[in-house]
Amino acid sequence: MSSLAVIGRLERDAHTRIIDVDTEFTMDQVVEACLAPAVGYQARHPNPGAMLRVRPTTDTDDADPFPRSMTVAEARLRHFQQIDIYVSDD
Amino acid sequence: MPLLERSAWYDIARDTNWTPRYVEVDELFPPDQSDPYGIPVAEWETFDEPYKVSYREYVSVQREKDAGAYSVKAALARSSYYEDADPAYLSMLKLHYGAIALSEYAACQSDARMTRFSKAPGMRNMATFGMLDELRHGQIQLYFPHQLVSLDRQFDWAHQAHHSKNWAAIAGRHALDDVMMTRDSVTTSIMLNFAFETGLTNIQMIGLSADAANMGDFTFSNLITSIQSDEARHAQIGTPVLEIMVRNGRKAEAQQAVDIAFWRIHRIFAILTGIPMDYWIPLEKRDRSFKEYMTEFVGEQFERQLLDLGLERPWYWDIFLEDVGTHHHCQAAATWAWRNTLWWNPTGNVGPRERAWLEEKYPGWNDTFGMYWDVMIENIRAGHPEKSEAIGMPAMCNMCQIPISNKGGTVWEARAHQLDHEGRLYSFCSTVCKWIFELEPDRYKTFNTIADRMYNGEISPNTPENILQYMGSGVISHGGRDAHDLSWVKAYDEPGATPRLIAGN
Repeated sequence: MSSLAVIGRLERDAHTRIIDVDTEFTMDQVVEACLAPAVGYQARHPNPGAMLRVRPTTDTDDADPFPRSMTVAEARLRHFQQIDIYVSDD
Repeated sequence: MPLLERSAWYDIARDTNWTPRYVEVDELFPPDQSDPYGIPVAEWETFDEPYKVSYREYVSVQREKDAGAYSVKAALARSSYYEDADPAYLSMLKLHYGAIALSEYAACQSDARMTRFSKAPGMRNMATFGMLDELRHGQIQLYFPHQLVSLDRQFDWAHQAHHSKNWAAIAGRHALDDVMMTRDSVTTSIMLNFAFETGLTNIQMIGLSADAANMGDFTFSNLITSIQSDEARHAQIGTPVLEIMVRNGRKAEAQQAVDIAFWRIHRIFAILTGIPMDYWIPLEKRDRSFKEYMTEFVGEQFERQLLDLGLERPWYWDIFLEDVGTHHHCQAAATWAWRNTLWWNPTGNVGPRERAWLEEKYPGWNDTFGMYWDVMIENIRAGHPEKSEAIGMPAMCNMCQIPISNKGGTVWEARAHQLDHEGRLYSFCSTVCKWIFELEPDRYKTFNTIADRMYNGEISPNTPENILQYMGSGVISHGGRDAHDLSWVKAYDEPGATPRLIAGN
């Protein structure tokens, strides 16, 4: 297990944020790590009660989400790679 | 003794070009310092400065300017203006002096490069005066805040900021090094004299001067008006340079230099000017909004000057106009939330009345930037002011070195524009900063943002305490806090004054 810094882009937040994650974190744990410094400080949960998913950031905001149980290492996330934390319709 | 009219001798006196016999021309004027564009010397000799002044006249006028600025300062020093001033207004002064004072010394070196290496005699002459101007600006803007250090240690950042590793100082230096310090004399002139000084110093010097006068601070108002009168003169070095570039088939290179520098300085000045204008100056003392100033001084005047010279609007003009209504609002909120990293004390100052003004000047403010403030205000009102201070770090732009932010809320435009270059991921606040990087990656690729330094071992361990210490916060002075000790939040206690109700939503 080792740590990695990614850039979290939480839906509706005005900032992109540097988030420390462990390579063994699942995507659900990545969501929690991204919410921690934002929600309740300067941002609200984008849709309280709704499921949040993680996907790689793209220009068109339409990439498929990573599976919830996939780990950071399995997703091959890179140092300072940007990811979206967004409300999923699934 | 009778004196000749200046016009009778001026052109001869400043025509100091000669044909070198002992060295090659390229040794006397190395192209990488003088003119990488290869424009013939005969063309440079047509440089005709629009504002002519002799050294005798220059000294006389400058002496009068200095005497005026120092006498106003001396007169007001007998009052207790600064002891009684609004703390948020003092923050504007701290930010200005920290960002500007030693940058003026840096500009002195830029003018010195033109003075030594330009092939245009008229340009060398004007740049000599420009060099002396910048020296004066550095000295006077160090001297004035020095008297305030005993009042508040944060004023010491006038001397210290430029030498510190504070993130805001890094952002300023990165832009100024790019525009002023590391280019040949021709490109420096286009970037500094035209794009920076002609394009954007008006907004800092004239706009803030009006606000300072409204606040009763005639010392500062007079000071920056005095400085701007110099800027207005030496900024004109850039115009004949551009005319010669365009005439000699170098329009594309000139345009690119304008486009780079204008964006880079805009990103800094929007923070330096836009935040005080739209947030810190009390509502009844505000002259105009930042956007209104920018529309008049930049959107209209600068655009007209560009077109008159045969240049185009920068390709990103629409992005720029959008940025004028976005960037400083994002950074007003961000700098306030991360206020312990600053050398000034920002005020939130977004009570119900101020929000109504912001909504009027920037329609949609409440549904974007306002939502960010809503959460912080709710925390303060609920008795948790500590939650109004940000934790963690924002992502930083690898070009402008500023937090990567944009509109939040339902429109959600915050995004880093990323680039994989030689195996490293670079993040940018905008397509414009990314475009600048891609033009010349080798120029920028090794520079590390404050966020990079947290992970490459330069700040180790990267604890919050170490990061603040690295940036000089708590070392040079205490870090920033809310200038009004959060008292502006009390306005929400008035009946019916919830943020959303006042916002009309």
